[in-house]
Amino acid sequence: MTRTPSLVAALAACTIAVPLASASDLTVNVEGIAQVQGSIMLGLFDEASYNGDGAVNGANLAVEGESLTVTFEGLEPGEYAVRLYHDLNDDGEMNTNPFGIPTEPYAFSNDAKGRFGPAKWDAAKFTVEADGTTHTITMN
Amino acid sequence: MTLSRRHFLEVGIGIGIAGSIGACATAGSTSRSTGMPDWHLGYSNAPAGGFDPAPMKLAYGKAPAELKGSFYRNGPAQMQYGDQYASHWFDGDGLIHRIAIEDGAAVHQARFAETKKRREEQAAGKFLAPGFGTLGDESFSVQGPDDMNAANTSVLVVDGELLALWEAGSAFAMDAETLETIGPKTWRDDLKGMPFLAHPKVEPDGRVWNLAVGGSQVGIYRIAKSGELEDFGMVNIGRAAYIHDWTMTDRHLVILVQPWINENLRPPVVSGFEWQPQHGLQMLSVDKDDFTQQRWAQAPARMFFHTGSAWEEKDGTIKFDVVLYQQPILGVGGGSQEIRGEWMTPDPAENGILTQVVIPPSGDAQLVETGIIGEFPQVDPRFRGQRRRLTALTSAPATSRPGTTAVTVYDWETGRADTFDFGQSRMVEEFLFVPKSSGSSEAESWLIGTVLNLKAGVSEVCVFDAARVSDGPVCIWQADYSWPLGFHGTWA
Repeated sequence: MTRTPSLVAALAACTIAVPLASASDLTVNVEGIAQVQGSIMLGLFDEASYNGDGAVNGANLAVEGESLTVTFEGLEPGEYAVRLYHDLNDDGEMNTNPFGIPTEPYAFSNDAKGRFGPAKWDAAKFTVEADGTTHTITMN
Repeated sequence: MTLSRRHFLEVGIGIGIAGSIGACATAGSTSRSTGMPDWHLGYSNAPAGGFDPAPMKLAYGKAPAELKGSFYRNGPAQMQYGDQYASHWFDGDGLIHRIAIEDGAAVHQARFAETKKRREEQAAGKFLAPGFGTLGDESFSVQGPDDMNAANTSVLVVDGELLALWEAGSAFAMDAETLETIGPKTWRDDLKGMPFLAHPKVEPDGRVWNLAVGGSQVGIYRIAKSGELEDFGMVNIGRAAYIHDWTMTDRHLVILVQPWINENLRPPVVSGFEWQPQHGLQMLSVDKDDFTQQRWAQAPARMFFHTGSAWEEKDGTIKFDVVLYQQPILGVGGGSQEIRGEWMTPDPAENGILTQVVIPPSGDAQLVETGIIGEFPQVDPRFRGQRRRLTALTSAPATSRPGTTAVTVYDWETGRADTFDFGQSRMVEEFLFVPKSSGSSEAESWLIGTVLNLKAGVSEVCVFDAARVSDGPVCIWQADYSWPLGFHGTWA
């Protein structure tokens, strides 16, 4: 995981520790950040973890502009998905209104959107190729 | 009712206009061009771009010179894409009207609220969003209630800001003059996306109260005249009742928990409702100063959409007026038939009766039925939450089509109903009290409302003197065109 431009490791315990023979890099661009404040809390998932508790990797990225970039190194090529939210008040939680609707912006890879719930794995998954992949998510 | 006045309205204006446009239809007749009954005009699409400001002509009477302001209305106005009809009347996109009245002249304009639903359906040329009576397309993303928001039910003006109201999502801010959409209204950051009912209650001093309904959890908004949110709290009403409206005295909110229950609010929402009359009609009074101070009262099982307003007697007795039904209506299928031009004479049990509910300081509530069949009860805004005498409502169900033909002012002290019946050729909508510049009693008000003239095929704005409704309209302004029937309005 490369710290670009500035990031604090999150979910460090989930970082893949064993170097993989065919490790590749994933660069995630997050664009369209409406408010320059707080942090983007980003989780990287494989299919097994997508609907579970933990991510395979993740990052907590201070927002310093309308976009930011993070690179995950040493990933096994395959299918992944990203879920992120913009922690506007840096309280470490995705805030909701009293009825449970998020009050902070959030997004999924492929800019996938949910229907009465989070975006489905099939809609959010993308492939990290052996020679590396760049994936862009646009907040709205 | 003065027959001669009505006769003049029916014959005098009707023939004059019908003759001029060559469309001499009688009520209940069928349009040759569409194959639809004439009343289907009320359920047809408005132009996608709405209506640019256009002067209405004074077709009857003399406009009160002192009447100056904006009459805003809202209602569903996209009922069809090609051969595809909306699944339910309640799911049509909101068209926000402004009739600006000054110096005896009226100018009409209207714009659709540009919601996500509206934008995506217009782009696709078909209905996509789920809703009250609509399952929706799987491709339509729903990340919160506002993604389904039709902004189609009512309007509110707070400190000059115009809001288009739905009931299951945010209010939509609109430009009060141009009617351009600004976007969902967030009252406070932590309340983003909270529902805002289409029936806020405005105290005579301008403070606004409203509810956010989510199943058995109900949020309470208290909003200052300035538009600032003063307070927000939550109460639990025990079960997920359908709540379209509620009522309020000067000291208490009264939340009516009708036994029409939906514990699984998934679209089409209407399909999940179950009539459970064993619960009766329960009413929760909540102290405005302390939401934890609550009192329940019980009445026989009834269904309702709309209340008038409540007041409190010295001994704590609460009285309010409401239109009550023996069983659920509209949601059960009626709201989907009219937009297809289909209509059946309703069973008498489907009639709404203007009723006074009396909640004594202790014990069960009593229902005092007037026998008047009607809807859209309205009161003088100067007396909201206060003891008062008058309720205006639409009345007299049409015999061969949906809707009503008359406007009535009912006096709770004398039991007298002062009614003007337009006849079968006009579909009558909600009438609002507008206090006269002089005088302080309820009767010293104008009543303003819209009417769809089926004979001429045009929409009209009518003004009555609240003290003399049966004398007929004081004036009628007529558009050169018609717009679809709506739900509710406000005067600002």
